[in-house]
Parts: sequence; C-alpha cells; structure tokens
Amino acid sequence: MDETTLIRHAANGDASAWEPLVQTHQQAVFRLAYLLLGDPDDAEDIAQETFLRAWNHLKRFDQTRPLKPWLLSITANLSRNRRRSAGRYLAALTRAFRDEPSPASIEDKSTQYMEANDLWKAVQNLKEPDQQVVYLRYFMDLSVAETADVLQVAEGTVKSRLSRALEKLRAIIKQEFPVFIEEHEGREA
Amino acid sequence: MSELERELFEQRLISIAKGLDYPRTPDIAVAVMTRIRPAARPRFISRRLAWSLAIMLVLVSSLLSIPIARAAILEFIQIGIVRIFPRPTEPPVDMISTATAGSITPMTATASLPSATFIPSLSLIAGETTFADAQQRVSYSILVPAYPPDLGQPDYVFVQDNDGEMSILVWLDPRQPEQVLMSLHLVPQGSWAIEKAEPQLIEETNVNGQRAIWATGPYPLRLHNGELDFTRLIDGQVLIWADGDITYRLETGLPLDEAIKIAESLQPIP
Repeated sequence: MDETTLIRHAANGDASAWEPLVQTHQQAVFRLAYLLLGDPDDAEDIAQETFLRAWNHLKRFDQTRPLKPWLLSITANLSRNRRRSAGRYLAALTRAFRDEPSPASIEDKSTQYMEANDLWKAVQNLKEPDQQVVYLRYFMDLSVAETADVLQVAEGTVKSRLSRALEKLRAIIKQEFPVFIEEHEGREA
Repeated sequence: MSELERELFEQRLISIAKGLDYPRTPDIAVAVMTRIRPAARPRFISRRLAWSLAIMLVLVSSLLSIPIARAAILEFIQIGIVRIFPRPTEPPVDMISTATAGSITPMTATASLPSATFIPSLSLIAGETTFADAQQRVSYSILVPAYPPDLGQPDYVFVQDNDGEMSILVWLDPRQPEQVLMSLHLVPQGSWAIEKAEPQLIEETNVNGQRAIWATGPYPLRLHNGELDFTRLIDGQVLIWADGDITYRLETGLPLDEAIKIAESLQPIP
C-alpha cells in the first residue's frame, strides 16, 4: 500500500495502517527532536508523542499532502514546548555533567564526527527559529518547499531566514571554530 | 557572502551535517502502537480518564481549592454559552460545567493571583500547544487582540478538545513575567456550557455593540462535568461576550475600559 492509502486507512481508525507509517518516519522525527533537544531520552518521548498526536488528529490531516512535513511540524512544536520546561533543563544539565566525554573519548571520534559536532554546537548558538530552519534544511536535508511546509511559512520566508541564519552561523563559526572556515575558504580558493 | 560563497557554504554545511553521530533511533513504532492499541477499544473511557487526571492535577496543584458549594439558581443572564446568575444573599459561587464528560475548564488567573502558584500550574493545564497548531486543530478562527499594540502573540496556547474545541490564550506580564497579564478563552457553541453564578459584581456593558458582561470576583469557581466536581477560588475580573458561535471570556486584572478595548480589537493573526 502506498502512503496515501495507509493514511486513509489510519484516518479511519485502522491502527495496523499507522504502524508502517510510524516505522517509515520514526528516524526523521527522532532525529529532529534530538537536534532540537540534544537528549536522546527527550527525543524519544517527543517522537512517541508526535505519532500519538498525529494519530489522534489524522482525520483533520489533508491527505493530499505528504505526511513527513506535518509530522516534523508537530515534532518541532512539541520540542519547543519541552525546551520551555524548567525541569527539562535541570535534567539535561545533570545528564550533561554525567555524560561529559573525556578528552580521550573525544580523540577516538573521527574528524567527520568532530566537524559535525562542532557545527551542531555552533547552530545551538542561534535563536530557536534560526536553529529550526538550519536543522530542517541542512541536517534533515529537506528542500526549501518542505522546510516551508514544516514551519508553516512561505518559501520566501524560509529563504530569508536561512540567509539570516547562515550569516550568523558563519560569524559564530569564524569566532568559535575558525578551522572550519579556514578549510572552507581554502577549498573555495 | 556572495551567492557563490553562500552556495559553497551551504554545500559544506550539508556535507558536514551528514556526519553527525545520532543516537540509534529507538523503536518508536512499538511504543506508539502499544499506546494506541489498548486505547482503540475503550477509547472513550481512556480519554475521560486522561482528562480526569488533568483535572485532578489542576485540583491538586491549586493552593486555592475549597470545598464544593452548590448555589440555588433560579434566574440567569445568557451571553453565548455562558449563563450568569445574579448574586443573592448567599456566598458567591461561579459555577462552570460542561455538557460533555471529561472536559476541563481552563484554570486561569489574573495579576492578583499569587504568581508563585500560578506559573507552575500553567504547566499542568492539559493541551498546551503552539498557536499554529491550535489554529490547525480547531474549526474556528482563533482571533487575537491587536490592542495593546505591543501585546504580541500569546505566551501560552492551549486547546482542550474533548468533543468541544476550547482554545485558551495566555499572555504573561512583560514587566513581571512570573505573572499573567490576561487570558482569553474561545469557546465554540455546542458541547460546552458555562454557568457563572454570584460574582461579587455584575456589570452590563457591550463589545462591538453586542451585549457583554463584566463580572468581578473573588468568588469560588466550580468545575463540573457530571462525574468530576471541584471548586477553586478565582480572584479576578472577567469580560464575557459572544460573536456568532464563539463565546469569549477575557480574564484580566486590567480595568473594564481596557478590557473592552482589547475585546474590540480581536482579529485574525496577521
């Protein structure tokens, strides 16, 4: 069955049609929540909640639209709410303290991982709307149209947000992770 | 950045981002289906239970809870789905009931409520969401005040959808963000019924030429849904008016003239 048919069945209360849809999109949903929250336990909670909410509101979902942007939109909203919870910050701080990697374990990681992790840290310095657009476009590899669909804004808005976010990100990287920019400029030359 | 620089920078970002070491994706499907399937059969009971728990959380969290009081109600003023009962000589009671089981009337407060109790309890109100999500979920247009001009979007949005899509918008006081400036409830015609009895003061006024009521506390607020029944103290001022099928309930510590300006400035979000 294709996705549209599965959605139609699920919207009519057929839970068995919902399961393959969850399986298809669970990685994207979990990863976006992880990017936004930085904690796998929180990301798992949000991912579950995303699919439960989507299930409960499937009847209102426009079945002519792709499911993934809608799911990611719910994920982004739920993650935003979760970030506002003071309790979560305390828990995250505790985990960060507990899980702080040792210098030795950092050395074990590949250069690619290190770069990606530095980029993630740099993005975390951006404001929340800018983070969202960067994660969706560059980390989740969504098109501008899909990103606009997730954020429920016009494509032009996505482009202007991206432009603004990129300028800020570049400035942050230049200051905090200059190697990244040097390599980048070296490649351009 | 030139267009070319930007393009190269973007490509590099995408390339680097692909290297991020995500945790292994847990089997979300199993957990979700476990939660969906048991709910599929006794869905109605589960929803009721969920809402009951939400109500109980609010009840437990409220430091202002008081014993249930039942008022003798004989005559009332009707504004939309709200019935307001004039105050006899008995102690005042503001009674809110729902026609459907399991619905929860939002707990709101005014600036006069102790901030230390209100803000934590905001997180216990069921149905928190974003404005965009709320608008997608309800079948009516959620209007927001354009006055005062610097009000902005609500700090909290709730949709309590239990056979009746009530939206609640909450604005915090920017000068005292631990306190609530005002809250606006949008209640569609249908499954909800609100009964407000014996406020300290009832003043008839109008919003956009339509009859409206300004009710002032303090008074006990009774929440009733057939099976659940509890009462808590509201110490605030409420402006109630209706426009078409939607009844609006604005709780605020601001004076009446300001409340009317706010009410008359409602418009779809730009």
